[in-house]
Amino acid sequence: MSYGGTTPFAVELRAVTKQYGTKSATVRALDGVSLGFPPGTWTAVMGPSGSGKSTLLHCATGLDRVTTGQVLLTGADITRAPEAYLTTLRRRSIGFVFQHFNLVASLTAAQNVALPLKLAGSRASTQDIAEALGRVGLADRQHHRPRELSGGQQQRVAIARAMITRPAVLFADEPTGALDSRSARTVLGLLKDLVTAGQTIIMVTHDPAAAASADSVVFLSDGRVVDRLDRPTTHAVAERLARLEESC
Amino acid sequence: MLTLSLSTLRERWPLFVGAVMTVALGVALVQAALLVMAATGRGWVPPGVTEEEALRINEGYVGAATLLGMTVPLAAFLAVFIVGSTFAFTVAQRSRDLALLSVLGANRRQLRRLLLCEALFLGVFGTLVGVVLAFPATLAQSAVLHGFGFLPDGFEAPFGPWVLGASVPIGVGVAVLGVLSASRGAARVQPLDALRDTGSAARVMTPGRWVTGLLCAAATAGFIALTRSGDLLVALGMSLLISMTGSVALSRLSPLLVPLVGRLFVLPGSTLAELARANLRDGVRRSASTAAPLIVLVALVLGIDGSLGSLAKLTGVEQERSVRADLVVDSTGAQSARLAALPGVAVAAPQSLLPVSITALSAESPDDPPRPQTYDQLVFAVDPVTYLETHVAQPRSGDLAALTGPTVAGGSAVWGDRLVGETVTLRHNGQETTLRFVARLPETLALGEEFLVSRDAVPADLLATSPTQTFLRLTPGTDPATVRSAIAAGDLGTVRTVAEWAGAAAKAQQGGNLVIMAVLMGLSGLYAAIAAVNAVVIAGAERRAEFAVLRLSGLTRRQVTTAALIESTVVTVVGLLLGALVAAGALIGVAGGTGGVVAVPWGLFGVLSAGALVVTAVACALTTWKVSSTS
Repeated sequence: MSYGGTTPFAVELRAVTKQYGTKSATVRALDGVSLGFPPGTWTAVMGPSGSGKSTLLHCATGLDRVTTGQVLLTGADITRAPEAYLTTLRRRSIGFVFQHFNLVASLTAAQNVALPLKLAGSRASTQDIAEALGRVGLADRQHHRPRELSGGQQQRVAIARAMITRPAVLFADEPTGALDSRSARTVLGLLKDLVTAGQTIIMVTHDPAAAASADSVVFLSDGRVVDRLDRPTTHAVAERLARLEESC
Repeated sequence: MLTLSLSTLRERWPLFVGAVMTVALGVALVQAALLVMAATGRGWVPPGVTEEEALRINEGYVGAATLLGMTVPLAAFLAVFIVGSTFAFTVAQRSRDLALLSVLGANRRQLRRLLLCEALFLGVFGTLVGVVLAFPATLAQSAVLHGFGFLPDGFEAPFGPWVLGASVPIGVGVAVLGVLSASRGAARVQPLDALRDTGSAARVMTPGRWVTGLLCAAATAGFIALTRSGDLLVALGMSLLISMTGSVALSRLSPLLVPLVGRLFVLPGSTLAELARANLRDGVRRSASTAAPLIVLVALVLGIDGSLGSLAKLTGVEQERSVRADLVVDSTGAQSARLAALPGVAVAAPQSLLPVSITALSAESPDDPPRPQTYDQLVFAVDPVTYLETHVAQPRSGDLAALTGPTVAGGSAVWGDRLVGETVTLRHNGQETTLRFVARLPETLALGEEFLVSRDAVPADLLATSPTQTFLRLTPGTDPATVRSAIAAGDLGTVRTVAEWAGAAAKAQQGGNLVIMAVLMGLSGLYAAIAAVNAVVIAGAERRAEFAVLRLSGLTRRQVTTAALIESTVVTVVGLLLGALVAAGALIGVAGGTGGVVAVPWGLFGVLSAGALVVTAVACALTTWKVSSTS
């Protein structure tokens, strides 16, 4: 079965709405969002709490179904795709980085990084894993378990894990939200290096400093795209965000 | 997958302790039972015993094998059930981990395989522990059976490697079977649940639970209806099925029932009670996991004890109804002979227990080849005329009036071999006599096969020394007290009313039931305790954050523990009540076959309740106290 469509974007949302709840009490988390994320770019999605940032991320990755509209991921329409197809997609084309790292506590750093490959049924060579951990600066932490690592180190393991399958798109949900500013800078630097090497990154954040590392920033409010900023600075992002939060 | 299964077990082993112990216990019990059964099958007899003793030892072997044969399927049922509920709970505790794997690209089949791998490791590990535990278990089981008189002195049940062919597959099979349904549910976890705390993973009443719960409830209702037929054997069988399906039904529906019933108990008032009430609503899975094993325990143990107790009571009732007499006198044959002459005695029907054995051909069913069987416990010498005057029931065939000379009547046992053939052989002091069948006795519930021979065919000196029960019918208007004092004055034996005599018979039958209950209780109680404590401890340990919030909100450690105790006590009470409800269903079933005669095991219910309340309270208090420290 093919779910093909034509799009110049790595990820494209076409008139996407997402409604929660039943008839009596509906919440429209996304309200007619149309957005394209070009390949090889880093886009930050910002907005006040409840603006629909997380919903957008979940819908764009197929973790959640849209109510109306279309989502195209690497050219494939995932709007109506069956669960099995989405599972394969998650293995091959998507990498995830979360605010709370979400490493498997019982596995070592190396085993965590190897996990997506193993789930996809391919062999994970020790050398590949060591290299992936080396790229995030943790060559000497391979056999440590998550609880033996600092928050920043855990997030770097999570990035290595997300990148091991060379995904088309890396989704990051508040990747610096649980980190001190120094660790946050290291993580943002790693993401920057990935984009320079051609990786597409979509990142949800409410931290202006993090958003300023991206190529462009999209602002959401009440489920709608209300603004966009290219080549952002921390100052400009903070100002726009403050304005948005005031109008709420 | 293997690595992940292994490392999960290593990391989160406290979650699995209960399941491993359950498997180990099941394996140990089954292996011990099989070894003892095999040893009884060899029919070893200590050297130098008489032929009669050897016969008795072999009868004991048959009894022991029957009893063990009952415990093996019960142990398997309980083990699958407890492993299932324990594992379902651990899977629920890990729904976030499983959802995360799904985000990383694991499909349903991989998640199921992961859980089945864990079950396999658990099963193998539990089996290893069980095989070792089986050695002391075999000794203990033999000792218990020896204590109850089933096994002779010097009996040994040696280990044989063949038994591993049964115990290993059973251990691994129990673990995998128990995990199957939990793994199906877990594989359906939504990846999004890794990223948020609520969602479908938090839903406890899954469609699967609804279906099995309602199906079992319907089956239970059907079984209760079937017992209306009035057949005793059907009713007894059904009551066991009612206990099983009823307890499965209520434990599957427990996420719905426990909070519902529990809220009736905790009245809003104090802050701590409010808190416990809210937690009952919130911690549905936790409550259900604690209540489920208690439901099964109470339902099975009370249901079976109630059925057996009702049967014993019915035996007494039946005996009381079977005779038309006023008093029963226990004495020797010589004393009995003088009773008929007492003033006020209309009829005296003596019944002497003879120290003889009878060998008769018998068959388990009409199709089986008949084989000789020896009976040596219930051979009575009666006088046909007075016997007929004092006993209500008529023989199924033949005529008791023809019981004179070398003749015999028999065939009263409901459960047992059917007597066939025209003659039996009576043996006394090495002398053999052939007796001709003249009547088949009506079936009774009393234990054992009863034979009647005519007093005129028994030597007078033997009759005079044999223990004799005499049924007295008094002439109308005679005060039993005068007859009693006359018997006492003449030293003619001990007197009981018919009701007292029948009550003693019921008690004797209940004594046999006690053995079965002791084995059953120990088994189910142990399982239920493991499962309930497991649920309480796991739930408590996972509530660290919740307790910390309560402490930060100003509650003392003592108050946090009290609130948790109120909650767990209510859950325990509800579990006990739901179990009692199932047992009541089983008793209603029995009543259908006994014509309404029911023995409600109140005492046993009290003991079980007290035990359950103490065990869960101690486990809950210790865990909460430990977990709710602020450091």
